Amino acid sequence: MFSEPYQNPEFGVSHSHPLHIATACALGLAVLIPGAAHAETITVFAAASLTTALAEIETGFEAASGHDLVIALAGSSALARQIQQGAPADVFLSASPDWMDVLQADGLIEPDARFDLLGNRLVLVAHGDAAPVEIGPDLDLMARLGDGRLAMALVESVPAGVYGKAALQSLGLWEAVAPQVAQADNVRAALAFVATGEAPLGIVYATDATADARVTIVGTFPENSHPPIVYPVADLANRDTAAEAEFLAYLRGPQARAAFERQGFAVLAH
Amino acid sequence: MMLDVSLRHRLGAFTLDVQFRAPSGVTVLFGRSGSGKTSIVNAVAGLLIPDEGRIVSDERVLLDTAAGVRVKPHRRRLGYIFQEGRLFPHLTVRQNLGYGAWFAPKGAARADLAQVVDLLGLGALLERRPAALSGGEKQRVAIGRALLAAPQLILADEPLAALDEARKAEILPYFERLRDSVSVPILYVSHSASEVARLATTVVAIEAGRVMAQGPAAEVLGNPAVLPTGAREAGAVLLARVVAHHADGLSELSAGGIPLLLPRVAAHPGASLRIRVAAHDVILARTRPEGLSALNILSGIIHEIRPGGGPGAIVAIDTAAGRVLSRVTRRSAAALGLAVGQEVHAVVKAVAVATTDIGAA
Amino acid sequence: MTDWLSPAEWDAVRLSLRVALWATLINLPVGIALAYALARGRFPGRGLLNVAVHLPLIMPPVVTGYLLLLGFGARGPIGGFFESSLGLSFAFRWTGAALAAGVMALPFMVRAVRLSIEAVDPRLEQAAATLGASRLWVFLTVTFPLIIPGILAGTVLTFAKGMGEFGATITFVSNIPGQTQTIPLAIDLLLETPGGEGRAARLAALSIALAASALALSEWLSRRVAARVGGQ
Repeated sequence: MFSEPYQNPEFGVSHSHPLHIATACALGLAVLIPGAAHAETITVFAAASLTTALAEIETGFEAASGHDLVIALAGSSALARQIQQGAPADVFLSASPDWMDVLQADGLIEPDARFDLLGNRLVLVAHGDAAPVEIGPDLDLMARLGDGRLAMALVESVPAGVYGKAALQSLGLWEAVAPQVAQADNVRAALAFVATGEAPLGIVYATDATADARVTIVGTFPENSHPPIVYPVADLANRDTAAEAEFLAYLRGPQARAAFERQGFAVLAH
Repeated sequence: MMLDVSLRHRLGAFTLDVQFRAPSGVTVLFGRSGSGKTSIVNAVAGLLIPDEGRIVSDERVLLDTAAGVRVKPHRRRLGYIFQEGRLFPHLTVRQNLGYGAWFAPKGAARADLAQVVDLLGLGALLERRPAALSGGEKQRVAIGRALLAAPQLILADEPLAALDEARKAEILPYFERLRDSVSVPILYVSHSASEVARLATTVVAIEAGRVMAQGPAAEVLGNPAVLPTGAREAGAVLLARVVAHHADGLSELSAGGIPLLLPRVAAHPGASLRIRVAAHDVILARTRPEGLSALNILSGIIHEIRPGGGPGAIVAIDTAAGRVLSRVTRRSAAALGLAVGQEVHAVVKAVAVATTDIGAA
Repeated sequence: MTDWLSPAEWDAVRLSLRVALWATLINLPVGIALAYALARGRFPGRGLLNVAVHLPLIMPPVVTGYLLLLGFGARGPIGGFFESSLGLSFAFRWTGAALAAGVMALPFMVRAVRLSIEAVDPRLEQAAATLGASRLWVFLTVTFPLIIPGILAGTVLTFAKGMGEFGATITFVSNIPGQTQTIPLAIDLLLETPGGEGRAARLAALSIALAASALALSEWLSRRVAARVGGQ
């Protein structure tokens, strides 16, 4: 396919071979465009509820851009704390605006590189097949629970737990059920309790429920029972590279949107 | 009371194949280091299971590989005195002594603690812990501990080997007392000819895993063909009775009617003693010598002349005092024209007999 | 003094002590038995047993917690058995927290005791056997007194680990104030709550003080035992 330069007696002489010119141009362009041919590593801190969606997005982005993504998943509260203490993250995807506001107040994010990316719904899930319920102030949650536990993420710090407690409080159900709540470190851990059947019911995001076939959604919390669930994303202030901008752009792009919607997220950014 | 042992076992370099009986008193397994003696004792104790064997102690079968009988060590009713003592470091001497007694079955004939403490001189040591004892003291406690377990058989594996000469001299008499005061058989391992001479009632000579000879001590030790630890250690045992102590520091003994003069012995007139006479301390003469400094001349008939590998030969002489062995050069034997059946005179220097070679009979 | 920590935090302290104590009590006989089997036993699968005992050390604590959830949870095979035949349940209860602490600390107990047993001269055990002691009595009267220092070391390590266990606990029995919210879980919660660092620090200080006291006690006991064996 290619001429054999070593055997071509004319190699090395200034012979205008088209392939050589093309290669020279490409290399020149590559040197001129900063970072374009240089594969970067972007560290992303993301809320645990984004696990499944981000797995798909990671593959897509790495293939398209040639950059490498390192994704750390945990409860948003834990991640925010780490960022406050100087963790080397480039992008933060939080499950609630509160923690993003905390970081913004500390001056840790690029203010014009923050936008609301996703929305989600809060659902009540049960193990295996279960009859649906109407979630309202008349819901007899105690009867459904029996002497089992209601699995939730940490209700004082992890967004899914905070939203869940707010929703139960606004429906007047919190006081009764509080002693039977089992708080897990993050929303996926709460999901695991219901998935293994150890807890009969749990409060997780709609997207978490779709991610695990062992649980069924028995009811969706009315949107007005809790503060809007918004997932803001921001470019953190510690580094500023083109790769980060590329990633944020990708998150608003069609492939990422499809991945999020497959998991059940509402995509807010375009 | 009798111990019957018969066993075969592969031991690496050679095969152990022995058969012997141990009656009351001290039966010494006498042989070089590595000849298999410790393995035999461990088999009797049950700490080693031989490939094949049968061990019967006083009509109790402890081991019979053919019949599938294997009594566990803790049920064999033994008292084992180890070379390193092996006292329990977290217990006092008194508690160590009492350890075996605690496990002895109800009907067993128990030794009296006070008696044993007396026998072994342990009174001052009772409340101490092993870490505060000397080597000799530890061995004495080990002896007491074995005794107080009300054993039907006492085993001792080179119990003096780890001690220096002075300690050995100190402890050996306790073993003599043990021999003389208990009726159970004592199986004692040793590679020291003088220990054997002093203690043994019966000797089982072992070489490379085989029994070379077994029988009463005087007989086996007086046998020039049986030298498990080499010709240098050859020496016969005489039985003598103390007649009197002389003012010049010598004691007069009588062995079979023949007078023997030795440096002062620590025994009363009338006491019976064993005297080991090392073969290399015995000079032979065809005629009764006169004008010699040596005080002891025993006359007898040559029983056997056994040449060794080197220039030496061992001559066994039967005298009225008992069998005497003499180590001479072959040249001298030839020059003197020594032959079996001849009359010959054995000369022994009084001072040649070490105090360690004199024991209670 | 009582308002140095909030009531919920004192609850966490009491719960931690209870969890650590029970983890230690159960680990003592189990750990000693395993250590003896590994040190003196000769049986097929001994190597495998050794690996199994060390698994909680090598595996991520969350994995251990998850395995405990699957096995000892109300729906798990072992958990179900305990509940139906002994009325003992682990899921979301302090008993589960004690179990998690015990399992995570077991390798420490086994290692410490095993090293101690291996240091006991087997010839002493032989001597005891020749004096009439069966294997059990040899263990009780000779081996055990001599391994007390190792047992003390293992006990302190187990207690300290029990006071500090987090990953397996939260994964197995979650964070339930009064039932499973031990000091580490309480501290974690406080750290993840804005403004909770001060209280977290106080709890941490108390936890360190408790562990240090346990260590000091064990050192003192060890010295006394060593003096006895050493001949004083």
